[in-house]
Amino acid sequence: MGALVGVYAIWLREIKRALRDRGQLIGGVSRPLLWVLILGIGLNPYFRAEIYGEVRFVVPYTYLQFIFPAVIVLNIMYTAVQSAVSVIADREFGFLREVLVSPMPRSLVLIGKVLGGATVAMVHGCIVLILAEFTDVNLRLGDLFLGLGLMFLLAFGLTCLGIVIANRIRSFEGFGVFSNAVILPLYFTSSSVFPLDPALSGAQTRVLYPEWLVTLVEWNPITYAVDSLRGVFIGFNQFDESYGPIVMVIMVVAFFAIALWDFRRT
Amino acid sequence: MTVNAVEIAGLSKRYGRTLALDDINLTIGADETFALLGPNGAGKTTLIHILCTILRPDSGTAKISGHDVVRQSLRARKNLGVIFQEPSLDARLTVRENLEFHGMVYRVPRAVRRQRITELLELVDLSDWADKLVRTLSAGMKRRVELARALIHDAKVVILDEPTVGLDAQSRSNIWTYLRQLKAARGFTLIVTTHYIEEVDEADRVCIIDHGRILALDAPSTLRAEHGREIVRVVPRDAAATAAIRARFPTAEERDGDIAIIGADSTVTETLLRDFGPQIRNLSYDRPSLESVFLALTGREIRDQPATRGMRG
Repeated sequence: MGALVGVYAIWLREIKRALRDRGQLIGGVSRPLLWVLILGIGLNPYFRAEIYGEVRFVVPYTYLQFIFPAVIVLNIMYTAVQSAVSVIADREFGFLREVLVSPMPRSLVLIGKVLGGATVAMVHGCIVLILAEFTDVNLRLGDLFLGLGLMFLLAFGLTCLGIVIANRIRSFEGFGVFSNAVILPLYFTSSSVFPLDPALSGAQTRVLYPEWLVTLVEWNPITYAVDSLRGVFIGFNQFDESYGPIVMVIMVVAFFAIALWDFRRT
Repeated sequence: MTVNAVEIAGLSKRYGRTLALDDINLTIGADETFALLGPNGAGKTTLIHILCTILRPDSGTAKISGHDVVRQSLRARKNLGVIFQEPSLDARLTVRENLEFHGMVYRVPRAVRRQRITELLELVDLSDWADKLVRTLSAGMKRRVELARALIHDAKVVILDEPTVGLDAQSRSNIWTYLRQLKAARGFTLIVTTHYIEEVDEADRVCIIDHGRILALDAPSTLRAEHGREIVRVVPRDAAATAAIRARFPTAEERDGDIAIIGADSTVTETLLRDFGPQIRNLSYDRPSLESVFLALTGREIRDQPATRGMRG
């Protein structure tokens, strides 16, 4: 029991720091608004094709619906990876030592830290959910819980990834550049803004898109996170439904293990 | 049976080709105030980091209240309160939130935690600042918060690594006043490293280390008596007087027209006043300081100050 109080203390500190960081909150609100309002509405009319004079959507959804789950993933990605900045800050401003000489095992310290970051990322993911009504996505209660579970898995895994990156990069500036260099490519190649049409066979997809792009999308783990959230929120899957959760669980385990290994050595 | 606060046996640590600690043996008793003194790079911080369990020794053992810092590090840490050279507070949290965090991580029950926070803030005169963000505090106040924080849990050994570095003279002496008060209120072993040699007089025992070895270990007064040199300085009235005095004290050195008699005992002053009284313009007496003890033992000044000559235009 006593150990849980310590984890709670570390979690609570992360939450308090996030709440006092105006910049992060503003980003968490403005990012989804930009993506949904500007990009979503702007591209909405182009997301359909005319076949024999009949107007159809490429996939049977509007672009707003299509992009909605991806924006949730984007908001979680940014916040989760950015939350690892606190790892660099703790090292820089000495607070890390306060934790290192405390009688708390390193593993619990890390769990508290990751849970804190993941919670903040979840909250930012939920900010996007408020826009559901606006994007014509109907949230049913059961789907919502399933979706929240997947979002948490993603947030946890990405926070671990952020910490792994933060452990390798010592300065704030470096982290900003590097995290953007990780987040944006991962996001754009996750089939977030355009679908690899499920109606096309693998061979046909490769004719439509250059092969390197298809390969990138297929190898990007975020692709499967976006896909599984789409499956839950709008009922559209490009890949097998089980891929998403499997990939995310692997991400959580792998990144947490690396983060823990790093942390034990400090 | 009382357990020794710190027991160090055969402790060594090497960084590459440099031997930072060379077979250190040391015992520090309960409730002792112990000062660790040494020039930069002497091995002080290495020793402190090993005691804080954040650095592993190459060989030898160190125990905090009977708990081995390597094999029982979590238990050793429970008995430790540490104040590092660099501040380690979260500037975005309030004073109270920082203390609460510490109490929770050290598993201090809620009621005890609350009570101690109130008491300790009272002791370091920060009750009015409890709900202010740490970043709005001055450097001296932050140090006081850290003093209070180290005692939220039942720390039996409090380690301070250069606690007063970067503070002005007044804050420095304040910190020591607070430390004395806290020690009187709670009772703990205090281990402190410092650059300010005048602060070491507060200690029961002083340990001077250099090149990873213990050079001297004793009460400040004993060290002064054994290694310190008393110096009598004389300013003679004229050249004739200078010659006469130098003839009487052949070992004396002449410095800028003064005569410095080093290693003088009390008879020197008597002789000077009796035989040369009218020929002396000025006479001064330097008590042996720990600074001179330090210089005698290590051959170095305590602070390696960069030369400032030529900097002023």
